[in-house]
Amino acid sequence: MVGRRWWVPWLWLAPALILVGVFLLYPSIDTFRRSLLDERSQDFVGLDNYRFIIENPQPLVSNTHVALWNNFLWLFVFTALTVPFGLVLAVLTGRVRYEALAKSAIFIPMAISFVAAAVIWRFMYEFNADIGTANAVTTQLGGEPTAWLQDKHSPLSFITDSGPDTLPGPLQLNNFALIIVGTWMWTGFAMVVLSAGLKGISREILEAARVDGGNEWQIFWRIIIPILSPTIVVVATTLVIQALKKFDLVWVMTGGRFDTDVVATLFFKEAFVIRDFGVGAALAVVLLMWVVPVMVISIRRFEFQEEIR
Amino acid sequence: MQRSWRLGIFTVVAAFGLVLAACGGDDDETSAVGDGTPLPPVEIGDVDVLGIWGAEELEKFDAMVKPWDDLYTGNVTFTGTRDITAILTTRVEGGNPPDIAIPAEIGLFRQFASEGKLTPLSACQGLEEKVQAEYPASFIDLATVDGVLYGFFMKADTKGTIWYNPKVFAANGVEPLGADASFDDLIALSQTLLDAGVTPWSVGVESGAASGWPGSDWIQQIVLNEAGGEVYDGLIDGSIPFTDERVKAAWEQFGQIIHTDGFVVGGATGANATGFQESAFPPFESPPEAAMLYLGGFASGFIADQFPDAVAGEDYDFFTFPGGGITGAANIAYAFNGDSGTCSLMNHLASGASQQIWVDLGGFTSVSGEVDAAGYPDDVSRNQAAQLLEASDFRFDLDDAIGGAVQTAVFTAVTEYISDASSLDAVLAGIEAARQ
Repeated sequence: MVGRRWWVPWLWLAPALILVGVFLLYPSIDTFRRSLLDERSQDFVGLDNYRFIIENPQPLVSNTHVALWNNFLWLFVFTALTVPFGLVLAVLTGRVRYEALAKSAIFIPMAISFVAAAVIWRFMYEFNADIGTANAVTTQLGGEPTAWLQDKHSPLSFITDSGPDTLPGPLQLNNFALIIVGTWMWTGFAMVVLSAGLKGISREILEAARVDGGNEWQIFWRIIIPILSPTIVVVATTLVIQALKKFDLVWVMTGGRFDTDVVATLFFKEAFVIRDFGVGAALAVVLLMWVVPVMVISIRRFEFQEEIR
Repeated sequence: MQRSWRLGIFTVVAAFGLVLAACGGDDDETSAVGDGTPLPPVEIGDVDVLGIWGAEELEKFDAMVKPWDDLYTGNVTFTGTRDITAILTTRVEGGNPPDIAIPAEIGLFRQFASEGKLTPLSACQGLEEKVQAEYPASFIDLATVDGVLYGFFMKADTKGTIWYNPKVFAANGVEPLGADASFDDLIALSQTLLDAGVTPWSVGVESGAASGWPGSDWIQQIVLNEAGGEVYDGLIDGSIPFTDERVKAAWEQFGQIIHTDGFVVGGATGANATGFQESAFPPFESPPEAAMLYLGGFASGFIADQFPDAVAGEDYDFFTFPGGGITGAANIAYAFNGDSGTCSLMNHLASGASQQIWVDLGGFTSVSGEVDAAGYPDDVSRNQAAQLLEASDFRFDLDDAIGGAVQTAVFTAVTEYISDASSLDAVLAGIEAARQ
């Protein structure tokens, strides 16, 4: 170590540190600071902005409870749909002759702009059955046109036609319609990553299982899933973070109206439409707090995997 | 001999380039020495304008700005976005405002003006005098904050227009309502049409994050005409709450249209799920799917674009919203600095002569006294301008005048009320909660 100055490593790190500082650290700290200030970021108001989120005093302007609940819904339903779809498709496309073609077709939604995809789906969900594919199908089957993006009734009431109170209110049809679009976009991603993991499983193990008399079903559940579980966790974590910061899709398709707001659309609305930077920043902090544990878990897991390698 | 072949190509290209350069030099010379009619452009900086127009409206704006472009060295950089509130706020807060903003809403304008972020019109030579002399007093008052004039209304739209299909009316033996009609007459007319087997109304309030505003337009017209101008003004300044009985009555009258079975294409669900632009089409389809549509004067643009063969006055026309009072919206132009480029463009936009360019192209209603009524392309657009300038009782759009959180609350209240008639008291109280 002769001749090395203590600051040399810092010099090499400086570009990265400056970028992280300017584009991540400073905005985070400033957002936290603003969340403790009033709407014009002038006077200190303590935790009033956080109290606003908890007490939800203006449900018509920014329904914080609905946004938090919808984020939960996205987190669970979106992840729970996308991971299994991706896995099933990874296994199935691995066995067809036109594998590359099939995979490309499923991956295409990932390749187009999310805003463009959202616009396409706005047409799919259009109320006018002459334009909207979903309603064209519904009306052909003898149903009434459905306001997919505006209907706040629960999906079950749509199916059973037994009124809006068969399920708890917050399970709204329009939120599921949005989540399905998210699933459509991200299934390709899950499929590609899982399929790469699948290719990594050595043939000998599968052959050994078959020789031992395991059927395909047992092989899938007892062999493939356990070996693939680290990859599944990586995919799931990515999707959870995606679900938590979902913005583009909701903003383009409904603008967060008809109780489809998520935390990301709500803080944008509070800060830049209503011009209340305090509440907007507080919502951003809440979202950050929510994402951080997920990130920590996935980084820990990554380090752990590096160690056992 | 590949080498010489390449050299040959090079020589040809170089020679061609020289010829081009020579021609260019020639051009410069003629314009500098020539007979002098195209004057050398006046030195001036570029002007950055943030507005809401796109597609045909943007083309017409460009046409209106072209004479200015030809006269000066500066260029106009126009950014058009429907999300102007968010974009403008971000840019102003970030210390990077545009030179000129032309939004449709004045709540934000008033905030900026009172925070000292805007440049008064008096900072530009001759601009304030021109606006004071040529624009109606009601519009000058709206652009004045704390006694200082900060902007002018460049493009206006009446919201007192009920569009109808004259052929459907004739076929069913009904007449458009006259000036002395009341809201009850409108309901009676709707019932007559329904009894004749025609769906009277097409309503669509979907508009992304701003869904609900067409319903808010309905209600503000009813408030102005049934409850009166004082109630209307009281709602804006907050002295009268939305929970007031007279205001609630206006919402219920809107509900008579929305919640009566058969009055609206697709029912209340259809109203919430149909985009406001698409809602302009059903009355004019063949065969027509509705008879009437209430939407501001700009709806004529949607109709004309969708049905290029439709003739104004024959295939579509409007009658005045019953009750006499007229609400309207307008694009206000205001500046963030007093640079020579900004000032000269502001002067250009404010002048009747340049607005006349857009008037000629159609889809533009001017409030400038300098724009000739004879210049409008047809009676329908001429009558819109007349309605706006001659209204006995004119008010600026209610929610645009309030702006901010209350505006958002009103929009949500409208869609909630449309989807559930029993929620009225709750949503009206909800709007008041947004006033803080």
